[in-house]
Amino acid sequence: MEKDRIAIRVDDLTVAYNYKPVLWDIDLVIPEGVMMAIVGPNGAGKSTLIKAILDIVKPIAGSVQVFGKPYKNQRKLVAYVPQKGSVDWDFPTTAIDVVLMGTYGSLGWIKRPGLAEKKAALEALEKVDMLSFKDRQISQLSGGQQQRVFLARALVQNASIYIMDEPFQGVDATTEIAIVNILKELRKAGKTLVVVHHDLQTVPEYFDWVTFLNVKKIATGPINDIFNDDNLTKTYGINYKVAIQK
Amino acid sequence: MNFMQIIRNTKWNTIYKKSLNKMGMIGFSFLFVFILSCQETKNKSGKLNVVSTTNIFTDLVHHIGGDSIQLQGLMGAGVDPHLYKASEGDVSKLANSDIIFYGGLHLEGKMVDIFERMKSTNKITVELGAALDTNQLIESENFGGNYDPHIWFNVSFFKQMADKVTEVLSETDPESANYYAENNAKYQKELDELDVYIRAKIETLPKEKRILVTAHDAFSYFGRDYGFEVLGLQGISTATEAGVKDVQRLRDFIIDNQIKAIFIESSVPRRNIEALQKAVEKDGHQVEIGGSLYSDALGSTDSQEDNYIGMFKYNVNTIVEALK
Amino acid sequence: MSLFNIFIELFTDTTLRTITIGTMVLGAASGMLGSFAVLRKESLLGDAISHAALPGIILAFMFTGSKESYILLIGALIVGLIGTLWIRGIIHTTQLKTDAALGLILSIFFGFGMLLLTYVQKLPDANQAGLDKYLFGQAATLVSQDVYILGGVTMFALLVLFLFWKEFKIMLFDADYAKTLGFNVKFIDILITFFIVLTIVLGLQTVGVVLMSALLLAPAAAARQWTNSLSKMVALAALIGALAGLIGTGISASEDNLSTGPVIVIVASALVLFSFIFSPIRGILFQQIRLHQNRNNLEQMKTLQLMFNIAVKHKDFTHPHSIGILNNFRGFTKYSLNKMVEKEWIQISGNQWNLTESGFKEAKEMFHSNTKDHE
Repeated sequence: MEKDRIAIRVDDLTVAYNYKPVLWDIDLVIPEGVMMAIVGPNGAGKSTLIKAILDIVKPIAGSVQVFGKPYKNQRKLVAYVPQKGSVDWDFPTTAIDVVLMGTYGSLGWIKRPGLAEKKAALEALEKVDMLSFKDRQISQLSGGQQQRVFLARALVQNASIYIMDEPFQGVDATTEIAIVNILKELRKAGKTLVVVHHDLQTVPEYFDWVTFLNVKKIATGPINDIFNDDNLTKTYGINYKVAIQK
Repeated sequence: MNFMQIIRNTKWNTIYKKSLNKMGMIGFSFLFVFILSCQETKNKSGKLNVVSTTNIFTDLVHHIGGDSIQLQGLMGAGVDPHLYKASEGDVSKLANSDIIFYGGLHLEGKMVDIFERMKSTNKITVELGAALDTNQLIESENFGGNYDPHIWFNVSFFKQMADKVTEVLSETDPESANYYAENNAKYQKELDELDVYIRAKIETLPKEKRILVTAHDAFSYFGRDYGFEVLGLQGISTATEAGVKDVQRLRDFIIDNQIKAIFIESSVPRRNIEALQKAVEKDGHQVEIGGSLYSDALGSTDSQEDNYIGMFKYNVNTIVEALK
Repeated sequence: MSLFNIFIELFTDTTLRTITIGTMVLGAASGMLGSFAVLRKESLLGDAISHAALPGIILAFMFTGSKESYILLIGALIVGLIGTLWIRGIIHTTQLKTDAALGLILSIFFGFGMLLLTYVQKLPDANQAGLDKYLFGQAATLVSQDVYILGGVTMFALLVLFLFWKEFKIMLFDADYAKTLGFNVKFIDILITFFIVLTIVLGLQTVGVVLMSALLLAPAAAARQWTNSLSKMVALAALIGALAGLIGTGISASEDNLSTGPVIVIVASALVLFSFIFSPIRGILFQQIRLHQNRNNLEQMKTLQLMFNIAVKHKDFTHPHSIGILNNFRGFTKYSLNKMVEKEWIQISGNQWNLTESGFKEAKEMFHSNTKDHE
């Protein structure tokens, strides 16, 4: 399949904490319209890569371009779904409130969400099948429901690129299937999806592109070319068989 | 961006950190040596080493002891003895002294333990307040056995304390006994003159105006002796907090008696009296702040009020002029 | 003086009125802004900053020689802000976590402050400045000017809060996400921190350095128990704070020898305790009640199931059985039997029970799958 535009381009990205390199000289090209999994062992820097792309973490070197322009100018085109655990779910707010946060970016400073925004939020909740929970306090939601709310929040942004950090972690089977279907729909609509994924086994099933990461970029490209024993060994050492054990 | 550059950076930072440590060590050593060198050394001149607490007592001891003693006061101008916490420097001064004079009756409220310690080491520690007959002291209503320590505002008490100081100095240093006796005689005369002056000055103020409102209950003896009604916002010790009720009570009292002026004190937070003044004004009346009185301490050195007699005169003048 | 009279006097007596309004405004501001400290899990920050402010007050006196309270408080503000900066700096550049950084700054600054206090007590004008009164506050000397400043700052804070409400919300909940939306998270962070420090500094005169953190946190902690909405929580916290100020001032004014600051803090803490126990959604009492109710319901359901299994062995399910049959079943009590009669699931006459129509239906629907298995 012909990929004309490059959604995300990463050059020489390097991130270090306390003189310890977490990401080293990453070069990455993510074409538009792919559904890419980022995989690697613990501490490989997967979340850091996401955060560095999104300018949440400052790299000590390198640059990120979204559709040819620096990321900072293109924020509206990218939607972020962080890890579930990065947020305190005991915070006093409801499901619909969280989804409405997705509209804040287009509202800018001070402006409040209006009817149009509320409508968009309700539609997004409907899409993830959480409409009946809209006024539920988020601490009363299950892990899968929380993930869906996060996804709805990203959907409301109408972005071109969706970047997600372990969206299937701690989620029940039904929710996992539901989310994968929504993602596949997004891809059909021409969106680009970049997902840090923890479960090697489902990678070939869900995704069409993959990036192997372990501080350095090991390999990246279409599943058929890249997802093979050779790269798995290079990334995980000889333990990869354990990682994909049934 | 290559590996070598990063490595170089790392080395730099380690060196920087290491040198900071060295600097820290050197700095600390200097501090240590400095502190050690600040130790009081016993005086080599052969004179009696005497330490007193508030500068009122220091002034008293100075008038008796004169040049024959080496005198140090712990508390200077404007220092509040009720709250004063002795520092290590103070304790070593006390430890190296030959005689300690202090007010007592819990005036130096936070130093009681230290005095006990000094007494137990057989150092001559003299509680001046104990020289007075307790029947003449004002006893606390709620806490029997505890007396108002502001004894210096009664001139006859002060004279008795002067006698006590003379007695102690003469016992410890018999060679200079005559010298001390002479100084005492001279000072007793001056104190008598002071008493005359005070009474004369107060005569110029009509009886009904003789009401004194100050920051804390420091002037009860003054009031009893010279015919003033005396009220303080805080209690006998400044450690007590002025409560809302105290402010209300005094405010009403001031308005009822049409008091012209109230007074702050040099060693007590002025905010309290200022708040009292504003409270009175809120109720539609006027009251001035008549001035700053010296209650638990004398004025700064080289001022007119850096001695007991000067201070007392200043207080009385201020009070009478403001209330006239 | 009767309770009612005390509270009337709080607003009629001129002195008391000033103090009462002052403590209420302070309580409201603390509650409002303390909510943010609590939600950011930075509760100890309030404590660290209040304690850090002590050397600021003393240094302000030492440098300017002024005893005016607004100058001392500016000193507190500056040093408080420096302390906050250092805390953030320590967290970012060293391995220390937040609680270690907070504890470190708290101890160092406060210790330094106490050191300065003992040094400064020898200086002539120090006692007139009343520096050590800032340890526990002295509410009785609040004057109108203080209250105006408090009121002004609170109004300003309210305005800022209103304008940037959604920014505060998203920053508190998910700061990383907020960054990706393009919000300058640092700016909002500084804004919140600045207002928290400001409130703390203003409160120092009333409740003092040592107790201010309690006033900052208690109303918010109490409010959290009663609502799951952020806006309601902040409003409620302000209300609870004001209430603590009112009641605290009232109690301390009615007695001699009761310091206002500590009493306010005790009242606030009592409100927190009350909220923890009696709140309908999160309170311990209602949680226990609900737990109890659930257990009872479960008991009844299990008993019903047992009865159902017994009853279906007969052609007529309303066939009575002796209660004795249930004796081997540990799950039933007289209480649950009575409840089931109330719900009209069963009928009891003498020591016999029988299943009713509705009881039968209830059991069947409840254990639909069970009956399927049995068939």
